Amino acid sequence: MLFGWRSLVVSSLLFGMVATAETRPQYGGTLHVATRIAPASFDPADNSQPDSVARRNLSRLMFDTLVVMDHRGHLQPALATSWQAAPGSQRWQFWLRRGVKFHDGLPLTPEAVAASLRVPNPGWNVSAGVDSVVIEREAAAPDLPAELARARNGIAKRGAGGSVIGTGPFHASDWQPGKKLSLSAYEEYWGGRAFLDAIEVEMGRSNRDQLIALELGKTDIAEVATEQAQRTIGNGRRVVTSAPVELMALVFSRDKQSSEEGKQRDVLALSIDRASIRSVVLQGVGEPSGALLPNWVTGYAFVFSSDQNLGRARQERSEIQHAPAWTLGYDAGDPLARVIAERIALNARDAGITVQTTMSANPDLRLTRLVLSSPNPRIALPAVAAAAGVGAPNLNSNSIDELYQAENAILQTQRLVPLFQLPAGFALSSALQDWSEDRDGTWHMDDVWLGSTRP
Amino acid sequence: MISPRQPAVYNSPIAEMLIPSPGFSSRASSLLLVLCFWLTPLSYGADWSTPEQELARKIAAVTGPGTVALEVVDRASLNKKDVDDISRGLRVHLETLGLRAVKPEQAAATVQVSLSENLQSSVWVAEIHQGAGEFSVVMVTAPRLDEATFAGEPAPLNIRKIPLWSQEERILDVAVLEEGSSPSHLAVLDPDKVALYRFTDGRWQREQVMEVIHSRPWPRDMRGRLVPRQDHLLDAYLPGVICQSSNSTPISLACRASDDPWPLSSSFTLGGFFAPTRNYFTGVFSPGIGKLSSTGKFFSAAPIPRQNYTLWMFATVDGQIHLLDGITDQTTRWNWGSDLTSVKTLCGSGWQILATRPSDNVTDSVRAYELPDREPVLASQAVDFAGGVTALWTEAKGSTAIVVSRNAETGNYDAFRLAITCGQ
Repeated sequence: MLFGWRSLVVSSLLFGMVATAETRPQYGGTLHVATRIAPASFDPADNSQPDSVARRNLSRLMFDTLVVMDHRGHLQPALATSWQAAPGSQRWQFWLRRGVKFHDGLPLTPEAVAASLRVPNPGWNVSAGVDSVVIEREAAAPDLPAELARARNGIAKRGAGGSVIGTGPFHASDWQPGKKLSLSAYEEYWGGRAFLDAIEVEMGRSNRDQLIALELGKTDIAEVATEQAQRTIGNGRRVVTSAPVELMALVFSRDKQSSEEGKQRDVLALSIDRASIRSVVLQGVGEPSGALLPNWVTGYAFVFSSDQNLGRARQERSEIQHAPAWTLGYDAGDPLARVIAERIALNARDAGITVQTTMSANPDLRLTRLVLSSPNPRIALPAVAAAAGVGAPNLNSNSIDELYQAENAILQTQRLVPLFQLPAGFALSSALQDWSEDRDGTWHMDDVWLGSTRP
Repeated sequence: MISPRQPAVYNSPIAEMLIPSPGFSSRASSLLLVLCFWLTPLSYGADWSTPEQELARKIAAVTGPGTVALEVVDRASLNKKDVDDISRGLRVHLETLGLRAVKPEQAAATVQVSLSENLQSSVWVAEIHQGAGEFSVVMVTAPRLDEATFAGEPAPLNIRKIPLWSQEERILDVAVLEEGSSPSHLAVLDPDKVALYRFTDGRWQREQVMEVIHSRPWPRDMRGRLVPRQDHLLDAYLPGVICQSSNSTPISLACRASDDPWPLSSSFTLGGFFAPTRNYFTGVFSPGIGKLSSTGKFFSAAPIPRQNYTLWMFATVDGQIHLLDGITDQTTRWNWGSDLTSVKTLCGSGWQILATRPSDNVTDSVRAYELPDREPVLASQAVDFAGGVTALWTEAKGSTAIVVSRNAETGNYDAFRLAITCGQ
């Protein structure tokens, strides 16, 4: 049975709305969220914390960005009401919204914005004007506004002792790193005070624990593992999923050293039966992919074949004189990764290649999950390249041809083998009203309210 | 100077702007929409000739002149007519470039064109196979066809739904200021402005825009109301703000912070105090209903006159209906939604209640009820909306109501007039 993200998002497609339409939003109440992630910091610029859809969403509760990307991928004003590029797109000016205050009650100033943006972007020249900030880059940066829409560029005021505050719809009232985050509605929020009074986030909870908590009415939002999505829906839970936002891929630890090694990598890629893995292991969720970016982002992903071709794999294997055994590493904490790694090893064996799964720190290749960094492909592609250890592609224009050629060039390096594009899924309690999320999984929690049907 | 690749100004800086000015296209679509005032469904034609030409040129650059087998595959859920049109257009453009479409066995090259899309654009991808395993890919982008459609009028029984206005920005209220056989002068209230439109030369033309000045952030699920006046054009009631238009031309709008009560009815003098940072009335009203001067926090209110008193209904935030007759405050649950209002008509008892109704999906509906005693009696079939109802107010003349819903497909706010017709 075909059961991809398209079928999963049915309940959230209409602008992600999963609301009953009968009543106006009601103010008040505390929303409970459980997450698997357990970050030690919510500073949006802290790169030491693993990236994830959940982390970005929690960050956006506290930190606004200058611009945001809407559900159609168009940029919309947020803390900046307008922006303008100088010829060449190296110098950008962003005019700030008036009357915005940080959670400590002090006004948002150009100086504060400039100081905030310098932290995640040390290579940028950011200066403050009277009512604007100016960003200068060394090279043309036509997609700079889209870059600023990323959660990592959330505007934060950093104080002594690592304290960090933002201007977002919620402010932190209690923070126990890696364990618990308590948020309260910010009454002076420029976009209008959120309907919810508070959000309590329990962190470091396994997917199983989260679903149990949801069943018991102890949480309102629980993450759903890819392979559990169908079963969770089958159990009558309300599940919403994003479009594919995570690439599962094999990433080699080094460049290929010879044409023969390149051919061996090709054999491995041709041997993998993604369709079976999707059907059996992923329970029909996710999309087999030969591309680095999902089709909803580029529109051409289907050109890169993801079909198993065992005949050609064996043919190419017969042309290789020496095919050394490879070790395939995976995240020991990811039960899905272990099963998929073992399936890949079996597929490789069918093609005449030896792949041994391992949890060692230095495998020849690693089964990796790469979170889509932005719905803008010209931002997302360089991020994938960087994660794979490939040089940044040269993207100078808005041409779709150029983007395709750049993605193709990265694939030709054979540093990574794309496997699946996976969605992010969440199970919601029936009390949640007006839940909405963008295709990239961005929540709009400031619009959520709690109905009276809490179990 | 402007960057050659894209317009440098993404969003012109307007110092006072709180929410960006909408693009011309949205206004244009609104005007187009209202041109079809009397319920003619819109049809949107698509011009694919530019991407067809561009893709044909790219294909020809790879293959050169000769014979080609062309297959067009839809990966973007286009309708069959669009796919057929594009396929035909591609063949025509290829032919002008010296590429003749033939059967695969006769072709020097096979071309599969996939009509795909990404978040922002239509993406047409041509996969070209030529002799000796040569494989090329070329592609073009085109603007996505926004399938903005507007629901035509359902078969009316008792409630007639007449489209008035549609726009991307939230519509808080619409006031019809002049009309003969049809409305000719409209005021549209949104969080930023009151816009005046006049129907002249067969189309709606914007006459004037008056900015709503306010100092505090607006609350979520924002609400507002337009009230036409005798001595000046109109008043606008918004959370914590009241604006009054001048009585001279050009008309100006003076806004001030105020917690004065909003009028709850055009037929009866009763005002309700609106919570300036919320989406509901505080529950206190003025000058009072008999001995009563307050009830629970409520979203909406509607009067029904009786022989010796007026019965007021309040849809309170806890989902209940409060019935106030001047002496008692009776609480009940009628499975109604948050919005109700009443209209004076020539049908039935002469007064009907229009109320939204709970539903489990993203659409909403309004029904008419009679209230012979203290229990409502359904008086009409439901009139449906393609999204949640965000406003329901009785118009100034008291016999019709304005309803605004957010279309769940397009995201636009659509304003309608609801008129009750008898005996159907």
